[in-house]
Amino acid sequence: MTTVPRLAVRHLTKRFGALAANDDISLTVEAGELHCLLGENGAGKSTFSACLYGLLQPDHGEIEIDGRKVELTSPAKAIACGIGMVHQHFVLVPSFTVLENIVVGTGSGLALDMGTARRKILDLSRGFGLELTPDRLVSDLSVGEKQWVEIVKALYLGARLLILDEPTAVLTPLESERLFAVISELKAAGIAVILISHKMNEVMRSDRVSVLRKGKLIGTVRTKDVTRDDLTMMMVGRPIAQVHARAKTSHGKAALQVVGLRLKRGADISLGIAAGEILGLAGVAGNDQDELLETIAGLARPERGRILLDGEDLTSLSVQDIARRGVGYVPSDRFRDGLVSDFTIAENLILGQHWDEHWRSGPFLDDAATAKNAEAAISSYSIMASGPEMLCGRLSGGNAQKVILAREFAKARHLLLCNQPTRGVDIGVIEFVHREILRKREEGCAILLVSEELEDIFALSDRIAVMFRGEIMGIFPREVADIAVIGPLMAGHRPEAAA
Amino acid sequence: MTLTERLGLRLEPRAEAKTLDRVLALASALLAALILCGLLFTAVGVNPLSALGALLQGAFGTWRAATETLVKATPLIFTGLATAVAFRARLWNIGAEGQVFAGAMFAYWCQSALAGTSPFLQLPVVMGGALVGGGLYAGLAAILKTRFRVDEVISTVMLNYIIVYALSLLLLKGPWSEAGGFFEQTAKVDPASQLPILFDKTRLHLGFLVALVAAALVWLLVRRTPMGFEIRAAGSNLRALEVQGTNKARVILMVMLISGALAGLAGMSEVYGVHYRVKAGALATYGYTGIIVAILGQLNPWGVVIAAILFGALVNGATFMQIKTGVPSALIYAIEAIILLFYLAGWAASSFRLRRIRA
Amino acid sequence: MIADLLETSIIISILAATVRIATPILLAAIGEMIAERSGVYNMGLEGTMLMSAFTAYIGAYHTGSLWLGVLIAMTTGGLMSLVFGFLVISLKVEQIVTGLALNLLGSGLSIFWLRAAFANAGQTPTIPFFGNVPIPLLSDIPFLGPILFDQKLLTYLAFLAVPAAWYFLFRTRYGLELRCAGENPKALDIKGIDVSARQYAAVVFGGLMAGLGGAFLTVGSAARFVPEMTNGRGWLAIVIVIAGLWRPVPVLLATLAFSFLDALQLQIQGIGVAIPYQLLLAMPYICAILALAIRRSRSGAPAMLGIPYWRK
Repeated sequence: MTTVPRLAVRHLTKRFGALAANDDISLTVEAGELHCLLGENGAGKSTFSACLYGLLQPDHGEIEIDGRKVELTSPAKAIACGIGMVHQHFVLVPSFTVLENIVVGTGSGLALDMGTARRKILDLSRGFGLELTPDRLVSDLSVGEKQWVEIVKALYLGARLLILDEPTAVLTPLESERLFAVISELKAAGIAVILISHKMNEVMRSDRVSVLRKGKLIGTVRTKDVTRDDLTMMMVGRPIAQVHARAKTSHGKAALQVVGLRLKRGADISLGIAAGEILGLAGVAGNDQDELLETIAGLARPERGRILLDGEDLTSLSVQDIARRGVGYVPSDRFRDGLVSDFTIAENLILGQHWDEHWRSGPFLDDAATAKNAEAAISSYSIMASGPEMLCGRLSGGNAQKVILAREFAKARHLLLCNQPTRGVDIGVIEFVHREILRKREEGCAILLVSEELEDIFALSDRIAVMFRGEIMGIFPREVADIAVIGPLMAGHRPEAAA
Repeated sequence: MTLTERLGLRLEPRAEAKTLDRVLALASALLAALILCGLLFTAVGVNPLSALGALLQGAFGTWRAATETLVKATPLIFTGLATAVAFRARLWNIGAEGQVFAGAMFAYWCQSALAGTSPFLQLPVVMGGALVGGGLYAGLAAILKTRFRVDEVISTVMLNYIIVYALSLLLLKGPWSEAGGFFEQTAKVDPASQLPILFDKTRLHLGFLVALVAAALVWLLVRRTPMGFEIRAAGSNLRALEVQGTNKARVILMVMLISGALAGLAGMSEVYGVHYRVKAGALATYGYTGIIVAILGQLNPWGVVIAAILFGALVNGATFMQIKTGVPSALIYAIEAIILLFYLAGWAASSFRLRRIRA
Repeated sequence: MIADLLETSIIISILAATVRIATPILLAAIGEMIAERSGVYNMGLEGTMLMSAFTAYIGAYHTGSLWLGVLIAMTTGGLMSLVFGFLVISLKVEQIVTGLALNLLGSGLSIFWLRAAFANAGQTPTIPFFGNVPIPLLSDIPFLGPILFDQKLLTYLAFLAVPAAWYFLFRTRYGLELRCAGENPKALDIKGIDVSARQYAAVVFGGLMAGLGGAFLTVGSAARFVPEMTNGRGWLAIVIVIAGLWRPVPVLLATLAFSFLDALQLQIQGIGVAIPYQLLLAMPYICAILALAIRRSRSGAPAMLGIPYWRK
């Protein structure tokens, strides 16, 4: 007996101008199934889920829910059809309670009926193994707990098809486990779950996988019938080099020394990075990695402690003085902290150095010099742009990242601070960034690499440190560190003291 | 579902607006504004076309009229530039109104101490005093923002009100009031401090040339210097500038000082070029009108000059229009605001696109 | 002289004046608070109040009915805010600039219309204005009676608006949605709720309240229209919303504080203390700056205040 699939998509196509973000995609998802949508950045996963949620309207194609054709013209329609979505970046009001966040926009009548809502929420959350306290403020919750709220929010609205967009990007390995436990409960209750991800180990836990590449559906397979390499091949179209061959560098004296640094919370941080060494800092977002990098770069003052570069004390220097000593900083939020969208590539490349005599002729800026500089950067970093005068706001994420790399790598003669350098860019750019970072390493630069992508950390680091709540939980050589060692530390669990 | 979604439409922001779209939108906006103003004229029982004709005649009909238009435009060039520089950095300096007063008052204070000396001393002092007075008053708002986190929108508006009372204090039977006079004004200033007239039998004074020079300097500053680089960067993404080590407070202070200084020059030009006295009536409204001029001029110095001249024409022509048609000249303030509103709507409309969605 | 001030009848007079002076500001501030809670920063309050004051005056003059004048003023406020709302909510124009344009429009139109309407009259004609409506029994309470319960109807309305606003914001479904629109409109949008509609409603409500406030200035007290007669009250209302942390009761307290200073200043002028009257008149503006400087931050502001929302 064939059952009607919860979701059936036929020939879905969505174009933006000449680009087909989704090109003739057809797939089904059964009730009680965990279906993974796999693809690298830019493959069309977000567009597809946006079409399913009514945020975008496809140009062609049909969508059926439980056999019924539906027109998903808005999120309200999607919700009415039982589709729920948990976005990658949570959409919660920090100053509201859990109850208020879930209830807002629902209900009837004038007065708020919190009592009924509270009971329903508690039933829902307990039924799926979640512990929610309805009256806590969302701003007091951990990232994992916030995700529970997002899930219950969707269930409260009656979701029978739940779309999870990159849910584990912000979770510790332990929290990810709990998520998968909840997903099992959801499956058992007959809810269909679509998991959008690019993390292989999660993908392998699904029932079926649909692989997207450049907008097209490459294929839908049963997970137990394929291997990781098969899926990678489908995702990228070519095998990717997993191991980066590199020369053993002689570890000399530490170039960067952080001694007893105290940020706003946590314990004293001490670490050292030698010239030509990459120290990878693992940890999910929100554990003060940003604060650590900003403090070293001079954007924040520590409570106490010292930062030394080649023996010189940087702790009380200004950002510009630190930069002049050969320090480059690649921020995690490229369009908020790294670039001025309304400026050209040439202008963004001299951001921070715009008073230097280098870029001036007399009291005015030397446009010829900045243009030449931009042309050199465009060519050596293979930036896809129309020229030095192109506005950075028009660049794709990957190319914008390259502009920042061009600027900061040029500054980083001795120390490079990298925060999430491969966030939101496609595999080609990821490989490029990895190569460039390794090149910097060969040039003798000390590199502090912060990334949520453990693949980056494992691929590039000579040593790996773990950060949790403003504290360094441990530093290990690469050979020793693997997920079993790192995972618990990322969740804040210290190993038992060895006997 | 939003209202537009129910109609099967959606308003989507454009990635980039084509120049033709912009021009079309702005032209239709201007047309709509003109039609509305025409309706206002009809409402008071006047034929809009004859009123318009009287306006044009009053603004440009004779040599005397045309130069007078430029006289009325001069303070607006200064306040328009002042506002444009600040708005470019996303600093909402609504205080040009008060900074005009501050510039005039500080210039008067310095100059009256030197009354009787040579014009080669008094004129530079007058200009310098206006720059300093206006600059410092705007600087006050900058410090309130950087040290006390007071929104510049509110602080500058409050300061506008405060300085008018301060001037009244000085002028109403106060230390600056004209001996034996009945009005709230100073005595006439020393002829050696008055700005030279450019053409005989007109009122066009040196201030107009200073305004043009100021426009050129502002253009150079914003487009070609590192300071201008910072102003433009601050207006687009101040955070990115900060991450590179630029001191936010320094940028805010510099921008406000420059902005206030420019507004202060408007005060100087009215006191020492037109009225030869300090009085509230000589200084009011230029600040607020300057904001409209800046926006219509698209925050570009040359746009500001053109818009200022157009508004000078409006003000100048309105007096003649009142005599000829009986329409109160106060109408032009309403017209200015209507033009601004339609301009904003037109600009915004060309930034969006209406799309059909399958309902 | 200070002893003169401390006489009971003078104190009562000052406090009663406080309540009266507070009325238009409180009406405008409550309206603005609701609008800002939805994320829209209506800086055009001054112009809206001014234009409404004028239309109340001219409406009352032509129709002979004070209440019709009030109604017309409310409509004026609502219409101006509707235009403002269209520009900033649907067309996403910069809110600060649009608010300014609205101020200039109110200023210009009111002066022009006044001149056009009464070009031939030597002096603008007066209209009757609302008298006090003492509440029976309550107005006889010693001390508090004359202060709180012997005021105009619009005053009672203004004070009743405070608990009404509190109930709406914190106890109703729509109030929750409104607050959500100001904190994180995406959270509403993603649930299929129309954010723009709620912002429009809030902004127009703010306009209606500003209209009432403006009306009070003419048909409630001054009996004629004088150009620029709002004299910064609209701006003070905006300052009060910030100082009052966007909550009804603190907004009321801030309004009373400013109004008390104003009432005190009037009394002092009458007595003839040797403080220049210009300084007294400037006090509200100086105090506004001081109040904000002491508060030192915009904590408590709706997170998305002033930032237009659209689905990205």
